Amino acid sequence: ILSQGTFEGCNCFRQRLVLSTLSGKRVKIRNIRSKDDNPGLRDFEASFIRLLDKVTNGTRIEINQTGTVLFYQPGLLYGGSVEHECNVQRSIGYYLEALLMLAPFMKTPLRAVLKGVTNDPTDPSVSVCPFISLSSKRRVLKRGMAPAGGGEVLFTCPVRRSMKPVHLTEPGKIKRIRGTAFSVRVSPQMANRIVDSARSILNKFIPDIYIYTDHMKGASSGKSPGFGLTLVAETVNGTFLGAEVVSTPQGQGDPVLPEDLGRNCAKLLLEEVYRGGCVDSTNQSLSLLYMTLGQQDVSKTLLGPLSPYTVEFLRHIRDFFQIMFKIEQQKPGEDEQKGGEKVLMTCVGAGYSNINKTIK
Amino acid sequence: MEKKEQKRHQHKHSGPKADKKNRKKEQGTEPERDERKRNPRAFSVQSAVRMAKTFHRTQDIKTKKHHIPLVDRTPLEPPPVVVVVMGPPKVGKSTLIRCLIKNYTRQKLSDICGPVTIVSGKKRRLTFIECNNDINSMIDLAKVADLVLMLIDASFGFEMETFEFLNICQVHGFPRVMGVLTHLDTFKNNKTLSKTKKRLKHRFWTEVYQGAKLFYLSGMVYGEYQTQEVKNLGRFISVMKFRPLVWRTSHPYVVADRMEDLTDPEDIRLNPKCDRTVSLYGYLRGTFLKNKCQVHIPGVGDFSVADVSFLPDPCPLPEVIKKRALNVKERLLYAPMAGVGGLVYDKDAVYIDMPSGHGSQQQEVRPTTELVQSLIGTQATLDAKMAASKVSLTCLMFSVLIVRKQNPMESREWDERAQRERRRAVFADEDDDDDDDDDGDGEQESDEEEDEEEDDEEDEDEEGVTTLKKHDKTAAETAAPPVKKQKCEVPMEMPAFADSDDELEKSEEDESEEDESEEEEENEENEEMEEGEPAKKSSGPDSGLCSEDDDEDEEEDSDTDEDGDGTVKSKMSSKHPEEENIDTDDAEMEVQNGHNLEDLAQKATEAYLRHQLAAPNLRKLVYGTVAEKEEDDSNDEEELGGLFKVNRPEKSKKVRADAMDCSRFQPDNSHDWDQEEVRSSIRDCFVTGKWEEDKDAATLLKEDEELYGDFEDLETGQVHKAKTGNKDQAEEAPQVKLDDDEVQKNKRLEKKRRLKERFDAQYDDGDATYFDDLKEEMQKQAELNRQEFEDVDDEIRVQYEGFRPGMYVRVEIPALPCEFVTNFDPHYPIILGGLGPSEGNVGYLQMRLKKHRWHNRILKTRDPLILSLGWRRFQTIPLYYIEDHNGRHRLLKYTPEHMHCGATIWGPITPQGTGFLAVQTVGGIKASFRIAATGVVLDLDKSVTIVKKLKLIGYPYKIFKNTSFIQGMFNTVLEVAKFEGASIRTVSGIKGQIKKALRTPPGAFRATFEDRLLMSDIVFLRSWYPASVPQLYNPVTSLLMPVGQKETWAGMRTLGQLKHDLGIRNKPNQDSLYKPVVRQVRHFNPLHIPKELQKALPFKNKPKQMQAKGKTPRDLQRPAVVREPHEKKVAALLDALSSVYAYKNKKARAEQHAKHKEFLKQKEKQEAERQKRMKEERKKTYRAMGQKEKKKLKSSLKGASKDN
Repeated sequence: ILSQGTFEGCNCFRQRLVLSTLSGKRVKIRNIRSKDDNPGLRDFEASFIRLLDKVTNGTRIEINQTGTVLFYQPGLLYGGSVEHECNVQRSIGYYLEALLMLAPFMKTPLRAVLKGVTNDPTDPSVSVCPFISLSSKRRVLKRGMAPAGGGEVLFTCPVRRSMKPVHLTEPGKIKRIRGTAFSVRVSPQMANRIVDSARSILNKFIPDIYIYTDHMKGASSGKSPGFGLTLVAETVNGTFLGAEVVSTPQGQGDPVLPEDLGRNCAKLLLEEVYRGGCVDSTNQSLSLLYMTLGQQDVSKTLLGPLSPYTVEFLRHIRDFFQIMFKIEQQKPGEDEQKGGEKVLMTCVGAGYSNINKTIK
Repeated sequence: MEKKEQKRHQHKHSGPKADKKNRKKEQGTEPERDERKRNPRAFSVQSAVRMAKTFHRTQDIKTKKHHIPLVDRTPLEPPPVVVVVMGPPKVGKSTLIRCLIKNYTRQKLSDICGPVTIVSGKKRRLTFIECNNDINSMIDLAKVADLVLMLIDASFGFEMETFEFLNICQVHGFPRVMGVLTHLDTFKNNKTLSKTKKRLKHRFWTEVYQGAKLFYLSGMVYGEYQTQEVKNLGRFISVMKFRPLVWRTSHPYVVADRMEDLTDPEDIRLNPKCDRTVSLYGYLRGTFLKNKCQVHIPGVGDFSVADVSFLPDPCPLPEVIKKRALNVKERLLYAPMAGVGGLVYDKDAVYIDMPSGHGSQQQEVRPTTELVQSLIGTQATLDAKMAASKVSLTCLMFSVLIVRKQNPMESREWDERAQRERRRAVFADEDDDDDDDDDGDGEQESDEEEDEEEDDEEDEDEEGVTTLKKHDKTAAETAAPPVKKQKCEVPMEMPAFADSDDELEKSEEDESEEDESEEEEENEENEEMEEGEPAKKSSGPDSGLCSEDDDEDEEEDSDTDEDGDGTVKSKMSSKHPEEENIDTDDAEMEVQNGHNLEDLAQKATEAYLRHQLAAPNLRKLVYGTVAEKEEDDSNDEEELGGLFKVNRPEKSKKVRADAMDCSRFQPDNSHDWDQEEVRSSIRDCFVTGKWEEDKDAATLLKEDEELYGDFEDLETGQVHKAKTGNKDQAEEAPQVKLDDDEVQKNKRLEKKRRLKERFDAQYDDGDATYFDDLKEEMQKQAELNRQEFEDVDDEIRVQYEGFRPGMYVRVEIPALPCEFVTNFDPHYPIILGGLGPSEGNVGYLQMRLKKHRWHNRILKTRDPLILSLGWRRFQTIPLYYIEDHNGRHRLLKYTPEHMHCGATIWGPITPQGTGFLAVQTVGGIKASFRIAATGVVLDLDKSVTIVKKLKLIGYPYKIFKNTSFIQGMFNTVLEVAKFEGASIRTVSGIKGQIKKALRTPPGAFRATFEDRLLMSDIVFLRSWYPASVPQLYNPVTSLLMPVGQKETWAGMRTLGQLKHDLGIRNKPNQDSLYKPVVRQVRHFNPLHIPKELQKALPFKNKPKQMQAKGKTPRDLQRPAVVREPHEKKVAALLDALSSVYAYKNKKARAEQHAKHKEFLKQKEKQEAERQKRMKEERKKTYRAMGQKEKKKLKSSLKGASKDN
């Protein structure tokens, strides 16, 4: 049994550091890839730590020689204007997910310009990332595909003093589907081909579909070729479900046809719809965090099946905030056809208030 | 002060006004009614501006009354109200508490020692705490007090402590304050008494608020206050309402009323100064307390809680009663520190707390591993040990066995006075039932036990068990039969259960008999854990069992087995619904499947397996089995040559620890979206799919039809009826009558509700402001908060929401300094203040501070100061600053008087807006008013921005026209480089700029000025130098001081104190000493004017060449004249003659003057006469002339008219 605040391995690296920053508890991570041929922290993790250092004030970070042990003592979240060169091993979504968790609790509103890979197959991209959050703003200034990157994303977020309790129990019915098919440094026709194939599947469900094509040229097209599709389904109650597929990076694996990609993405969206809930699978943890950091009131959210990442997140929330969620499974009814079973998450907020924000 | 009797208005009885009034009365009209109509001008708009102003003002006043609505989070069963009795010594605090306790409970308490909790009414409990005359205690208690009884010795008047305490209260959120005047019997004169009362009252009002309650206790009777007065005071206290205070509603806290040392005595024996593990007991207040959170104990320090558990309430409110007053049994008193507590509930033991028992119990605690000792030990020892121990399962069970065999005596632990016997045999009874059903092996023992337990019960009944207990028992009895039935059925119907059970049993059977029953209970536990999931009603024991929760439960279970205390009760209540669930399930199955048992069994098995696959218990999946999966990684290391271990990247197991950190949830490929049926499974998720009954457009339309279908056409008088209703009736007619009625009723209700909703929406919308909406939202949230976990078992509920306020909790804290236990004094309050996230950290705090007006010295920067902030009291070194107009924080040497200034400290992170107060010392009373400053936290920032003015001085060493070379300001070229372009100035006011560094001498530079310098000029550069805040955070550890010296804590001394104490005196600056003034006489050289100039000057300005006049020579000196006597006579005569002549002259002139005056008068008279005459004459002539004129005019007019 490990003592409090000590963890093993680099899994859930971001969760631990983010929750540590929010809860003010120091954290120690041992045995980071200690048995790997290439032990220690990777470049993208180091870059992530650097980003955290930029948005905080008074943070203490200690890493041992091999990089297998990390000690992190959080400072105060400061925010402000930040520009960060993200490592190209992971896309900007990797960094942005963490920033989204931190941004509302900073001293000054955050305005971050993140440079690197905007879309890659592993991480959610900017356009799918955060649909539930506040009045934050995200804009892709330049699109940069893996492996070389060269993209740029602007992210701004206002600060809050405290969070209101969340009540998202009724997802509602999907009223429209929007999306963006993008292509950089390839033929602009690719985007159109993607749109056609995606629509061929989605049209069977709902007629209100519009998929924009976005072909970026010149300086704003990054350094590597690629294309992809993001789809977002919006319900009558204002919740969003997103799906995204990106072409395999140049020189890594087999190239994909845009038709296949479009179909895959549409199916992925259907899969999300099948899973259901008020929040899609990538944003589960974010919504759970906002529930946790609310006032001491009951919050409820209906989710699809919990992803492994979310399960880890729930455990970490218990470690850092001593908050357990009441997890109720909701079986789908006999006659209704609304996808798989859902999970109703209920918790009492931690009574968290943003102690970084200055009062005048 | 008294108002003068003013003269009343006298109505007129006669006269015009009275007549007017009478007339009006007779007419019988009310003149006020249509004042507007009668006098419209008075009500017309005189000025639009003024009207706008008045409107604004009314709106302002209206909105000022609004408070931000907050979610109502007050607990349903609130913790006792903390009543702090405060006052200077010898004012009658203890007497008052004693009297109040006697008033409420009819019991006498000799020594008020620690908090005393009593039940004061049907819905209220009180905790009395006496505040001793120590500023530490005052600060701590002001933070937790709900009501302060402020005792004032009227014979003496107010004392400083009273005002100090009021100021402390103000800073930390004002609790209700009620003044109590005592010693009123010392006044012999009635008039002075009433005068004093009035004077004190008004002074009290200015301090608290106008109209604050001040109570008078007139005198003592046999050393006690008069019963009637105490009763009245008691009534005031019981009806008082309290405001929620921000800090307290956002932080959990416990006022500990019992302390227990759990440290292993062996450790203490080896090292008497070892850190102690202590459990503290008390009611939880404020908000939810999470397990393993951080707490601050004021006077000791920060600690993290090892374990929290809730205990049955030692001083419970009475059950729901219809009658008005409490009976004697319900008037409970609980004061363990004073040795009165009746029964004391430990986590897993029940025993009487004897007055001297505290120490002895602690001594008897022994390590648990020594089995033999535990065998010999008495019951009390065992219990205490159980409390102190975390034991392995087998050991525990062994001890359980022993306990069961030798301990039937717990039932006798019944306190006559408190009437609180809570020993329960019910649970053990039920356990035995389980044993009986599942296996016959343990029967003998359990039977024995049963008998014993039953005996106990009977005993208790005879002795008069409290209503509460009876209630529980009856509940248990009612629940018992279904349990039995279910247990009988299960093995037959559900082979899956039975199989797994059997396997478990077989493996365990060899070990001991007792183990089995234990195992059974574990299974029970599992079922209980899963009970939260509605999806898994019929699930058997789960394979994953190693979770922490389970462990805890096991422990508790075994404990409860042993002595069946209060925790059992909660467990019991949790079991009922679950068992019933299973029961009903079974019943359903029976109904469905008829009598084919085999078929039933098979189906059940299948269903169970399917469940296992499809719906794993999510709660367990998430929170339960984490540790297990991550741990077992070390086994597969193989050694190479007995020396090295092969270290290879692991494939399967270590994946979890070092896996890819990605939030994507890749779908399993079970869905083929090209198939129609798969597609149709999400058909309803889209707006194009089927809608629910209550949201479907068609249904809604139909309902509208129903609502608005009936109407009466007013013109024709025809009544239209909705058709649907009739149709429905027609359709439903053949159905059962009763059902039909029900349906109809519901329908009508529904219809009514909808109609009302419509109406509300239509008509209330205009008034509904944002504020109203917000309030409604908050109310809804409060409702949800209350309902969400209402029906969840407490054991599980505390995991979800933490321990709720109002619970009686036991908090275990490890690693407390030994002084806390050895120097324990129950007269000093022990408070556990919960800390929010990141409030346990230390950092820089910016605060606004104002020196208290009554404190007679200003405060100096960098002098240590003791702050009370949040829960904490600590010493720190503040830096005072003031914000300049350009936002710069300029360091101040001293706090300004009567003005706020900023202060930065190194201290615990505390949310903004928290108030604080400062004192210079807590030991002894040195100042006349001890509170030095008050303020509020503004900001938390880890970087300090305070700057201090710094003037760098240099001297020119070479001067060209406007350029100079300056040295002495910097030491190196690099320093200069940093300041290139900076503006500099001379003392005489010539401005300039640093241009460039010179190579030699180092630190010299070239600068240009707006004018030429002199070599004597001094050049300076004004700059700002950041001041660093010393990182001193020194918690005041007053509770660790030896008994009797607790108010003598002294922290870091100020420089002045240090010098004073050590007798060091500053060497004064020689220049500032006074020396005798020595003035040199100045010599001025004579003015020399050149000859040429002299020549040119006019004579006037020419230096006069004349020598000063010397002495007149003797021959030139004139002698004085001396008259001869004859000459003298002549002179005298001449003098006399001349004076006679002068007198005559004068007299003659006066005469002449008078004569002339007379003459003038005469002349004036004549003149006046003449004027009069002249006037007469003139008048005559004018009249004659006028008449002549008139005539002329008349004649001319006549002439004219004739002409016309």
